[in-house]
Amino acid sequence: MKTEDLKNIKDYKYGFTTDVENIRSPKGLSEETIKFISKIKNEPKWMLEWRLKAFNRLKVLKEPNWQKPKYPKINYQDLYYYSAPKSASEKPKSLDEIDPKILETYKKLGIPLDEQKRLNGIAVDAVFDSVSVATTFKDELTKKGIIFCSISEAIQKHPDLVKKYLGSVIPISDHYFATLNSAVFTDGSFVYIPPNTKCPMELSTYFRINASETGQFERTLIIADKGSYVSYLEGCTAPMRDENQLHAANVELVALDDAEIKYSTVQNWYPGDEKGVGGIYNFVTKRGACRGKNSKISWTQVETGSAITWKYPSCILQGDNSIGEFYSIAITNNFQKADTGTKMIHLGKNTKSKIISKGISAGNADNMYRGLVEIKNKAINSRNYTQCDSLLMGNKCGAHTIPYIKNNNATSTIEHEATTTKINEDQLYYCNQRGLDQEEAVSLIVNGFCKEVLQQLPMEFAVEAQKLVAISLEGSVG
Amino acid sequence: MKENYDFKIDKIKDLSQEEINLRKKNLELFYQAGFPNKKDEDWKFSDLNSIISNNFNKIVNDDFLPTKTEFKNIEEFEHNYISLLNGKLISKDFSYEEKNKILIDNYNHKNELSLDSKNPLYFLNNALATGGYSLEILKNYKLKKPLVIYNNFSNSLKEKIVNYKNSIILNENSELNLINYINNSSKENFMVNTIEKIKIKKDSSLKNILVNNSKCNCYFYKYLNSDLEKNSTFENYLLPSGFKFNKLDIEINLNEENSNSSIFSALNLSNNEHQEIKTRINHNTPNCNSYQKVKNVLNDQSKGVYQGKIFVKNIAQKTDAYQLSKAIILNDAAEFDAKPELEIYADDVKCSHGSTSGSIDLDSIHYLKSRGISEKEAFQMLINGFLSETLEKLSEGKLKNFLIEKLKRQINGY
Repeated sequence: MKTEDLKNIKDYKYGFTTDVENIRSPKGLSEETIKFISKIKNEPKWMLEWRLKAFNRLKVLKEPNWQKPKYPKINYQDLYYYSAPKSASEKPKSLDEIDPKILETYKKLGIPLDEQKRLNGIAVDAVFDSVSVATTFKDELTKKGIIFCSISEAIQKHPDLVKKYLGSVIPISDHYFATLNSAVFTDGSFVYIPPNTKCPMELSTYFRINASETGQFERTLIIADKGSYVSYLEGCTAPMRDENQLHAANVELVALDDAEIKYSTVQNWYPGDEKGVGGIYNFVTKRGACRGKNSKISWTQVETGSAITWKYPSCILQGDNSIGEFYSIAITNNFQKADTGTKMIHLGKNTKSKIISKGISAGNADNMYRGLVEIKNKAINSRNYTQCDSLLMGNKCGAHTIPYIKNNNATSTIEHEATTTKINEDQLYYCNQRGLDQEEAVSLIVNGFCKEVLQQLPMEFAVEAQKLVAISLEGSVG
Repeated sequence: MKENYDFKIDKIKDLSQEEINLRKKNLELFYQAGFPNKKDEDWKFSDLNSIISNNFNKIVNDDFLPTKTEFKNIEEFEHNYISLLNGKLISKDFSYEEKNKILIDNYNHKNELSLDSKNPLYFLNNALATGGYSLEILKNYKLKKPLVIYNNFSNSLKEKIVNYKNSIILNENSELNLINYINNSSKENFMVNTIEKIKIKKDSSLKNILVNNSKCNCYFYKYLNSDLEKNSTFENYLLPSGFKFNKLDIEINLNEENSNSSIFSALNLSNNEHQEIKTRINHNTPNCNSYQKVKNVLNDQSKGVYQGKIFVKNIAQKTDAYQLSKAIILNDAAEFDAKPELEIYADDVKCSHGSTSGSIDLDSIHYLKSRGISEKEAFQMLINGFLSETLEKLSEGKLKNFLIEKLKRQINGY
């Protein structure tokens, strides 16, 4: 990438806000707020009951404090739990009806909402603040029997599927932030792929937090029925604000017999400024269940944003011969903190899992891999391979690795390796010699370091991710 | 809930009022926490509280009187010795060494009852400790022969806990090969809680070897804290197989430049034995090395745990730290848990760790069987090869042969 290009996007390019009138719920977390959300979404009674059950559970739960990145106490009564662009309250039928300002925002974000972007072949469900604004390519998907809509719509139109699977991977009593999400989630995406169907295009969601003092609590549920395949992309941005905003999403994946789900994330929430002011708290629960035989779930994530990232996309390998994969790049600069990793829980026979994690830490940042690999007694002939590499730039940042490894039978094998190093000076020197300046050289080397993960991303995302890697490390090398 | 312990300070004789008060405070702190359980991150994989509840009716403490009892000493190599019975110093022999170069005494508990810890067993030790030794090697003295510490335990220890503290100081340019030899004639269940502090000063070198001599119904915990000065070396060779429960909690502080430390551990577990090696290596200064190799073989329903942490401070550039844990699991009922941790704040370092666990190589077994070796022997050969690698760094000689033999006995049965 050219230097001028880099300069243009040096500052957080998604830092704009959009002037749209918002409808907000009453401030604070209470039964009223939950009833308000449920009412405005016109939800059936069982959904409200489900939310209230989670809310009651939340009252007895304590906010966890074992994680390494500490943060000032969040005042849950000072947040708005629902904020929707006003024009969305009368549901738009086509793109023409959407507030032009929102469309403009997405244009700035580069989301292919326009029909002319059809060539990209991506079906997008964009979530603006908390409400899903529009879903493209609906017809084409409907023909195949694929359901791709907002979760609110799914609750109305496909209650049986939602009832059956919602909360089946992340139960409402799971942990503090997951329970909070269950109580107040506002929107998100729902995907159902019918048996023996290969989703013809990549499905994508774009999340954006616009209004201030709001938390974003979206909920995504993806079900891949027997023999189906889907690749799902998720991207996130937020405007620059000097207060911290909370993002606590839940993502549940269910793969039945012979099904495969590929879930990719490029997370670029506002990371705060160079002094560590502002930024998003990204406390997300992502979990996939390989329920069926020969099923496969693959997580790929590129985490460059957020003041604090705290998430562990996990796989529960229940079905025999099922496969779980986790590919991650986490880049932290300035005062960012990341505590991320995965859990691979092997329950079925002959299950396999693979973890590749690349952590890059610069400035005053802290980057941590924390993961669990557990092979239970009945998961005979199972296998895990874990590799986590960390790259440090400077001696003010930290790189940490905390793997938990549990092996409970004699036929399974677990391999784990980790290294921590800095950028090789010979490589830098070589690049400099060939006319690359220091930053270009670092970007090149880091991209090489991350190659194994970047390869896993779908094409469009891979390009964006490479740029992000370069931007995130701007100014980190002296 | 059933109270599974009952500890009393007044069982310990000859204490000043001040000391009694301090010990009482420590005991109170222990009672607040109880034996650590799995909710405690440091004890996540070894729930001591439930292990104690399942195996003891009620543990009590006692003030053990030093009595002369005969124990069989090591004959394989010439050595000096200190003999402890139930933690109390009963005899010593330094006939191979120059006089006045080695100071040895009972441990003085009065000065060491600090309340500064998070570890309940530390408080318990402070409250109840009797016995133990303090050993000091004077400047520029290198011991000619190894020093064996006989840790003897008598048969009268049923449902009892033994607490003691040791202190070892190596002054500048000194050298010591230390063998902690656990000798036990008791078939009854008892617990041992030891705290050991080691200071290795400039240019000194300490080899610290631990050998358990027999299978025993002993629940053993040892916390070892060591400080290393410039150009010093600290090597650990651990062969603790045989305990019913054992946790070695080792903390090494590399405080000055060019200090080196290593830990080698070989464990063969069977029945329902449970052993944990927990290490924390603090690289507080540049140019230090640390090396860890922990090997486990797990039979029957045994459980092996390795929790290792390498901490590198931001000034500790040019650190070279390595950590490797390998385990062979022979039975589906056995379990191996590992948590190899890195916490690194300096960038010009070489830190890596690896951890593997899996089954034994059946192709190799088949190969050996086809050469006429019985299956049992084939297993023993492979396990022996796997574990004895940890002793490779030791220099050849009678001591090494002795350790290889002991390891073989730990694998092949007593």
